[in-house]
Amino acid sequence: MNVAIIERGAAFLGAIAVGVSAIVQLKNDWKARGLDADVTKLLLGLMAFGCVLALLAAANVLGARS
Amino acid sequence: MAAAALHDLSGHDAVAARYHDVDAVYGETRDIRLLGFVFFLLADCVLFSSFIFAYIYLRVSAPAWPPFLNGHQLPWFDTSFAAMNSVVLFGSGVTMHFALENWKHLNKRKFYGWLIATIALGIGFLLGQAHEYSSVGISWAGTTMGASFFTLTGLHGFHVFIGVIYLTVLGIQVNRGVYTGSKYFGLTAGTLYWHFVDVIWVALFFLFYLW
Repeated sequence: MNVAIIERGAAFLGAIAVGVSAIVQLKNDWKARGLDADVTKLLLGLMAFGCVLALLAAANVLGARS
Repeated sequence: MAAAALHDLSGHDAVAARYHDVDAVYGETRDIRLLGFVFFLLADCVLFSSFIFAYIYLRVSAPAWPPFLNGHQLPWFDTSFAAMNSVVLFGSGVTMHFALENWKHLNKRKFYGWLIATIALGIGFLLGQAHEYSSVGISWAGTTMGASFFTLTGLHGFHVFIGVIYLTVLGIQVNRGVYTGSKYFGLTAGTLYWHFVDVIWVALFFLFYLW
């Protein structure tokens, strides 16, 4: 099997698992107060966004080069 | 709290008892230390931003991208491997978050498990980056693409490397009973730093592999 397909498959499944975990953690921490909680929420949200990017890249929606 | 958890935290609780309610200075200084650490992260953000904007400027002003070298157009970076390696790093952010949450719930054993997982994933990301450097097919010198790529990903990789050392030191400190259930600013700072390193990679992943 093509190595790129394996890499994309691993990235796809991993991005779903990590993204869902990040969103669940974000939801759990949503009501937390304080500077550290606010910064953590921002960074977790951006990390979840990164997982969406990785998911789209793995699905060849983004970064597909001719 | 479960008796088993208390048993796990015997040394930890001993330190907590020693400091609890007597270390008023910690409570007074924690917020200002946290603010200082956030400013440090913002300063680091400015450092990355300067290189990122330099890369964007070089890229949009180039007549062709990827640029030509000796008459041949350079290849795009390997998106599939980068996506997989990115997930490894993002996964380490989640495991570090789990580690801190377990510390807050006084579960030292699970804290260690997640911390070790974070360190392992961080090392895995660095090895992945080393593999990519060896197979990317461009060099630091010669093109703005190579210079930008190695400067930015190298700077980020250096931060990951420092983060791995930082987390290892935190693990050693925990083992020595430095932190307690109410005093764990170092762990909070370590988690914020690791999340920050993850988020910087989101930007770099987009700029080098998806744009």
